Amino acid sequence: MTGIDLTTRLGPLQLKNPVLTASGTYGFGEEYKAFYDPSLLGAITVKGITPWPRRGNPAPRVAETPAGMLNAVGLENPGLEAFLTACLPRLERLNTPVIVNISGFSLDDYALLAAAMPEDSCIAALEVNISCPNVKDGGLAFGTDPKRAEEVLAVTRRHTRLPLIAKLSPNVTDIAVMAKAVENGGADIISLINTLLGMRIDIKTGRPVLGNLMGGLSGPAVLPVAVRMVYQVYQVVKLPIIGMGGISSWQDAVEFMLAGATAVSIGTANFVNPMAPLEIIEGLEAYCREKGYTAVGEIVGRAHRR
Amino acid sequence: MTMVHRETVLENRPLAPGADLYRLVLRGKVAATARPGQFVHLKVGNSTDPLLRRPLSIAGIDRDKGEITLFYRVAGRGTALLTGVRAEESLSVIGPLGNGFTVPAAGELLLVAGGIGLFPLVALAAAVDRARVKVKVLWGGENRKFIEIVGREALFPLRVDYAVATMDGSMGIRGPVTDLLRAELRGKDLLQEEEGCAETGCQESHCRDLAPVTIVDGKTRNGPGMIRAAACGPQGMLQAVTGLLLQAGVPVEVALEERMACGVGACLGCACTVRTADGALARKRVCRDGPVFGGREVIWDDRD
Repeated sequence: MTGIDLTTRLGPLQLKNPVLTASGTYGFGEEYKAFYDPSLLGAITVKGITPWPRRGNPAPRVAETPAGMLNAVGLENPGLEAFLTACLPRLERLNTPVIVNISGFSLDDYALLAAAMPEDSCIAALEVNISCPNVKDGGLAFGTDPKRAEEVLAVTRRHTRLPLIAKLSPNVTDIAVMAKAVENGGADIISLINTLLGMRIDIKTGRPVLGNLMGGLSGPAVLPVAVRMVYQVYQVVKLPIIGMGGISSWQDAVEFMLAGATAVSIGTANFVNPMAPLEIIEGLEAYCREKGYTAVGEIVGRAHRR
Repeated sequence: MTMVHRETVLENRPLAPGADLYRLVLRGKVAATARPGQFVHLKVGNSTDPLLRRPLSIAGIDRDKGEITLFYRVAGRGTALLTGVRAEESLSVIGPLGNGFTVPAAGELLLVAGGIGLFPLVALAAAVDRARVKVKVLWGGENRKFIEIVGREALFPLRVDYAVATMDGSMGIRGPVTDLLRAELRGKDLLQEEEGCAETGCQESHCRDLAPVTIVDGKTRNGPGMIRAAACGPQGMLQAVTGLLLQAGVPVEVALEERMACGVGACLGCACTVRTADGALARKRVCRDGPVFGGREVIWDDRD
């Protein structure tokens, strides 16, 4: 039985396989070490970093929904300095490429974060988060206005040589417009989707369930929205795509790749089945074998063929 | 190296006919390393709805048999689904998770429970060496029926000293468990009346009874007679209990509950706020940094 070539090329980023973990679902890489060796993954994406520490939103921060969940963590993170001095050395020891998600409230924030990230460490790329729905200013504001999204990418680009991944929000009217904007801004890769803004209300108390009132919807419930958006973005940009949104099985991953994703990120599924990323790698390999493909990249974009 | 286990269900039944409280006994690998105060994260079904696992605190640990005992109340769709699981079936279990209680080696241990907050505390009561540690349980519940059906399964077989309070007065004293605790602490001369009489030199009985007491260091600090406490229950009860115990100079550990997603510290969904040693406020993860915290460090009403 011949091995399937799982190596994955995302523009300037070369990975051993196409399965990543999504920001905000994988802590700083340590939490899942008790389950498996994170170096088996293509890359891990760590929690969004802001210039200064953030305590995030009050509890409750999560609420379950049909086939999904809402979260409103509010970008809790230790801040840039603590990330560099405390988190990064530990990430270094995981022996796996690390994608650092950076979140700002101004163009200066993104510039500062990009400039501060070392280019000779385990950091393989920066994911520019212009789509966090759970903070009052910035975040989503950059992610819903194409002109500002382009600016954020352009400014970030000037401050680092690391590959830049633009993480798009689904909370827009036309995802294709946003994708073109970040391509123009200088993104190397596009990742999508972030969470869909949602809300739940407790019928006993009559009050919103989440401390932040609203939160981001993730999990299997959002999968068809995400597949559709990956499909649309694939048609309008040349950049490679990291697809995410409700992926919990290899079948889901195949669907995203058929829609045009070169790689996939596993998010909420980690909470339910911590072994999901590894099972998906194995499943992709078996699917390729069954289809007679020699490389996993052969799946990418097939749904667009006539 | 995985922590995801398939545990065999030995028993899953209501505590009484028609009761919404269930006892679930699992056999597998979790028991070997489980400690009191830890929890397991259970998958209740195979569908994506409900999606998330359910955290349940560990109430009993039998290392020799490889069994853990859990209790749960049917509170929503997840726990309702769990009731349908039968003996001999298996469940996907992550655990044991969380930090667990300190298990004292000597002295006195006061366990203060509100309702089903009793469950993690009985695991602690069972874990201490009772030849060296004097255990007393103070337990508040809705009514006699609740105390009887839960107590019969979880508390009475332990044969520890206990006292109960019920909201309707149908068993033990009438009122919240904090009333029991206040009386207990006064009985030990550890607590003064919070609201002193305004009259200087007042000789009425309410003041004579409460002559100033000196907290004896040897009783509350390290030493053979040291008193410690652990508490679990609804947040308002925990806050009141912690306040009383700290006022009495009794160190207390509290087991917190919060909505959880991952259970392992990755998602930051189950945040609580604590005051760190340097006085700053910080968020902690109930699942990973807790669920047991020092009562002194918890900030109960953080709203920002």
